[in-house]
Amino acid sequence: MSTAATEEITLTRKDFVSDQTVRWCPGCGDYSILAQMQRVLPATGVAKEKTVFISGIGCSSRFPYYMNTYGIHSIHGRAPALATGLAIANPDLTIWVITGDGDGLSIGGNHLLHAIRRNVNLNIVLFNNRIYGLTKGQYSPTSRPGTVTKSSPMGSVEQPLNPIAVAMAAEATFVARSIDSHPQHLAATLERAAEHKGASFLEIYQNCVIFNPNEWTDLSDRKNRDDSILYLEHGKHMIFGKDRDKGIRLNGFTPEVVSLDEVDLDDILVHDATSKPLASILGSMEFPDYPAAMGVIRDVRKPDYAGELIGQVQTAQEQRGAGDLNQLYLAADLWTVEEREEAEEREITSLASDGDEMPITGLDEEYIDEMDKPEEVLSDFQDLLVTNTLAELNPKVPITVGKRSSLARTVRQMNQHNIGCMLVTDEENRLVGIFTEWDVLNRVAGLVDDLTQETITDYMTADPLTLKEDLPIAQALNLMSIHGFRHLPLVDDGGQPTGIVSFRDVVGYLNEALEDMTD
Amino acid sequence: MTDRVSAETYEVEELESVAIRFAGDSGDGMQLTGTQFTNTSAVFGNDISTMPDFPAEIRAPAGTLAGVSGFQVHFSSRNVLTPGDAPQVLVAMNPAALKASLPELERAGTIIVNTDAFTKQNLSKAGYGSNPLEDDSLEGYQVLAVPMTSLNREALAGFKELTNKERDRCQNFFALGMVFWMFDRSMDTTRDWLFKKFARKPIIAEANLKAMETGYFLGETTETFQQRYNVRPAALPPGTYRKVTGNEALSMGLVTAAQKMGKPLFYGSYPITPASDILHSLAPLRHFDVRTFQAEDEIAAICAVIGAAFGGALAVTGTSGPGIALKSEAINLALTLELPMIVVNVQRGGPSTGLPTKTEQADLLQAMFGRNGESPLPIVAPATPSDCFEMALEAARLAVRAMTPVFLLSEGFLANSAEPWQAPRAEDIPEISVKHPQGHRNGNGHSPFLPYERDPETLARPWALPGTPGLEHRLGGLSKAPLTGNVSYDPEHNEQMISERAEKVARLAGVIPEQDVFGAAEAELLMLSWGGTFGVVRSAVASAQRAGRSVAHAHLRYLNPFPRNLGDVLKRYRKILVPELNSGQLALLLRSKLGVEVETYANLSARPLKIAEVRDVINANLGRG
Ligand code: SF4
Repeated sequence: MSTAATEEITLTRKDFVSDQTVRWCPGCGDYSILAQMQRVLPATGVAKEKTVFISGIGCSSRFPYYMNTYGIHSIHGRAPALATGLAIANPDLTIWVITGDGDGLSIGGNHLLHAIRRNVNLNIVLFNNRIYGLTKGQYSPTSRPGTVTKSSPMGSVEQPLNPIAVAMAAEATFVARSIDSHPQHLAATLERAAEHKGASFLEIYQNCVIFNPNEWTDLSDRKNRDDSILYLEHGKHMIFGKDRDKGIRLNGFTPEVVSLDEVDLDDILVHDATSKPLASILGSMEFPDYPAAMGVIRDVRKPDYAGELIGQVQTAQEQRGAGDLNQLYLAADLWTVEEREEAEEREITSLASDGDEMPITGLDEEYIDEMDKPEEVLSDFQDLLVTNTLAELNPKVPITVGKRSSLARTVRQMNQHNIGCMLVTDEENRLVGIFTEWDVLNRVAGLVDDLTQETITDYMTADPLTLKEDLPIAQALNLMSIHGFRHLPLVDDGGQPTGIVSFRDVVGYLNEALEDMTD
Repeated sequence: MTDRVSAETYEVEELESVAIRFAGDSGDGMQLTGTQFTNTSAVFGNDISTMPDFPAEIRAPAGTLAGVSGFQVHFSSRNVLTPGDAPQVLVAMNPAALKASLPELERAGTIIVNTDAFTKQNLSKAGYGSNPLEDDSLEGYQVLAVPMTSLNREALAGFKELTNKERDRCQNFFALGMVFWMFDRSMDTTRDWLFKKFARKPIIAEANLKAMETGYFLGETTETFQQRYNVRPAALPPGTYRKVTGNEALSMGLVTAAQKMGKPLFYGSYPITPASDILHSLAPLRHFDVRTFQAEDEIAAICAVIGAAFGGALAVTGTSGPGIALKSEAINLALTLELPMIVVNVQRGGPSTGLPTKTEQADLLQAMFGRNGESPLPIVAPATPSDCFEMALEAARLAVRAMTPVFLLSEGFLANSAEPWQAPRAEDIPEISVKHPQGHRNGNGHSPFLPYERDPETLARPWALPGTPGLEHRLGGLSKAPLTGNVSYDPEHNEQMISERAEKVARLAGVIPEQDVFGAAEAELLMLSWGGTFGVVRSAVASAQRAGRSVAHAHLRYLNPFPRNLGDVLKRYRKILVPELNSGQLALLLRSKLGVEVETYANLSARPLKIAEVRDVINANLGRG
């Protein structure tokens, strides 16, 4: 089982051939891909027990049965998700995902996107035959508009997906394309995909001889394929054609095919597999308007998902030591119940070192976060309401009457001073009540015959809510809005009135403050 | 009006147990308040049981009924099994909280209200035509009307660094202080928690402490509170305790199972209420080699779990009913690949999106039958929050033993409820034995590896891991031949594989505990329950037994296979009644699998059963007298 032993063994193509009979239709492009895979794998130097093939459903997805490695023929579209779990469980494996245009881009589109986005160390090979083969010939998400099939007898009215563009949208770190009919190119591209660490995405134009036999004719015919394929090589000019007489030039943002007879070599694009915009341009070049770009379109290095995750495990173990179950169980507030005799002493202990405790769950996390969040900059206005005290309002000197005063005297005073609110005090000048215009209207007017005979204490509101001058203005506003008060008496520590604040005063003050701020 | 009265003059009444409900806006921090009261009571030595009640919307409009967040804690000097039927005390921070919780409150219960929140606007948001504090709608209750907002503001006026909003956020601690006073509880646990939690911002801790103390001393210095209560410590078995929710216990159980297998724990999940907390609990445990994977969807989560199981991890996915529906196809793949894994379903109210934050037990038949083809899988169901720990270990043990996915059916109620837990010692938990076939180099005269060669005793196939030389094999979802696992459409092969898979699950009955019964071995009535209804049914049966009724209780933790003696047990009772939070799913299984006559008591309110309700059912089934 040692790796040294693994390296000593030289594998051959035959080591990767399983005992199962291959069951694709005669002439199917899948045979060529299988043959090249079995040829390439020994050369990659990966032991076959470390190699896993995972597929979904479709003609291409039979692939794992024919490889004498570990493998799973899973369910439709989900191979990238299975492969992701496997890569996390054992990052030492070399995992191939075999999928098709229906499996990978229709039912399994979501998983393909996310496996690529996460840069899981997988080699994803998508066989694109632009048709559903296994279910006997319906159009697929890569079928061209107008494709006539059993499910689109008048021609498909759907726009196709461009697999390379999809991979680019998912921020793929490796994107390549090849074709079943060109074994050497296919083998070389498979090898490159295998070498790349992270998610490799390889689209293979594959011929379904039964349901879509003419799809790739122009690209596979040996005689003229060199005129329709642009073979990419990093750092090399994009030149193609049987006589290597054509090239790709950028006109603004648009690529164009030019003849080398007319254009300088310096004007021809040079392939750069690390350039993201260039990869997108190459992916957008569709045959027959352009030659089909083949080879490695993009190849950059980014951290792979499982590596990062296992890295976190290692970091956590370095920082905190390998987890100790007893500590985990006891990472909470603890209490001890003693053998019951007398009233026992209970002590709370917490073994939880910081971060050991499981997080508090439920909605209150947000509540805590909000309390715990960094200092918030108050709006100036809020600030003003909270920091400025009621003293700033220059509260009016209170007009008071003694609690033995008659109603008549009180009302007369109110008229004299032209105020809507009167404070009532006891012998020691402490506030005992408040009497307002509202009381006049509701408790006195029309109800009392002789104002001189009635004492104010029977008509006032006793023990009113009060505030002190050094409290924030906001507090007065709050009380006024909660209770609908129009006046709030201010008192000192001894309960003697020091002033009175009316709703009008507060509004006036706010108005000025607002004007100051907007100036 | 604020004459100081010394604490000694209060009457302190001894109570056996009390249930308090804290209710407010979801932004009021009621879960936190309830949790703090719970911790203090637990530390004091009471037995406790709690149940949170979240609004479904994270940020429902403030002041509305939809936004009410509640937390109920039941604390007692006796052993308690449930969060309490009807709370005796309600703390209502606004009119909506009062309105939503009042129907649950015990008659003549105590209501502590924040009068400042009873503004016209809040009243109308809660749908009150008139102020219930001023009309006679609270007649018969003991109402303690406290202007918490203004008193709290006054108390915190000195905290000039804080905004008014920040000060107001402390008013739940003001309320907590009052309740602490009322039940004669120490503020120490909460004070310590505050300074630990807000170590970075001690001013917040100070302000909350001040609010809490002010609430506490309000009780001491005013006549608002006439009465104090005392609930003595419970006679729990000696030992060290902590408080644990079902989801916490489940998480710790999974980590333990992985360690006892010597495996990494792979947890693949897509966020869903009420299972997400398992993901949250596990994610910080990387030092236990916990590899959490937040998948792009439910299907990816289970598929990644299948991949991880193939790779040799203890692989687990957690979700709720709607997620199981999406995972069904993949669960069937796992069944035919015969790989060990745990599928956790924290059941919530259904069907469809249903009631995400409420509880139900209506996915039993989904676990049993909700997949295409013949698809028998083991099912276990924890009975209490702390039992989630045990059943996680059990699920792992059964999964590895029979090489099969195992369903663990938890419930929203269990997931979020808490109870005291006497943590085990890790050394006392048995290892879970895992065998992987040894590798070899080809060409050494080895016969080809047979991935479906079954163990004669368990019928499990070998768990051969990728990376092992000489055991390369392919698995798939197509029908297969015995031994080789090669694709085969042969009808006999199909039949053989189906019956072998069924048989290996059935054989687990030999290694799960026999069914026990609480009460007499023979009686008029047997109450037969499963899942999170345990505490309520047990309490109701115990009370009926004390009253001399001929009733016993059996509680199922293993739903497939059933305990091997279940049929015999059921024969001994004249009548069997199955209370369930569904329309009779276990009853249906019992009838069809054991051929016994059982009756259903169905409750479809998406809330836990109540003890009184079950008591009534027992009485009704035994005839009065
Ligand atoms: S249907 Fe097409 S893709 Fe499928 S095996 Fe036959 S030729 Fe190949």
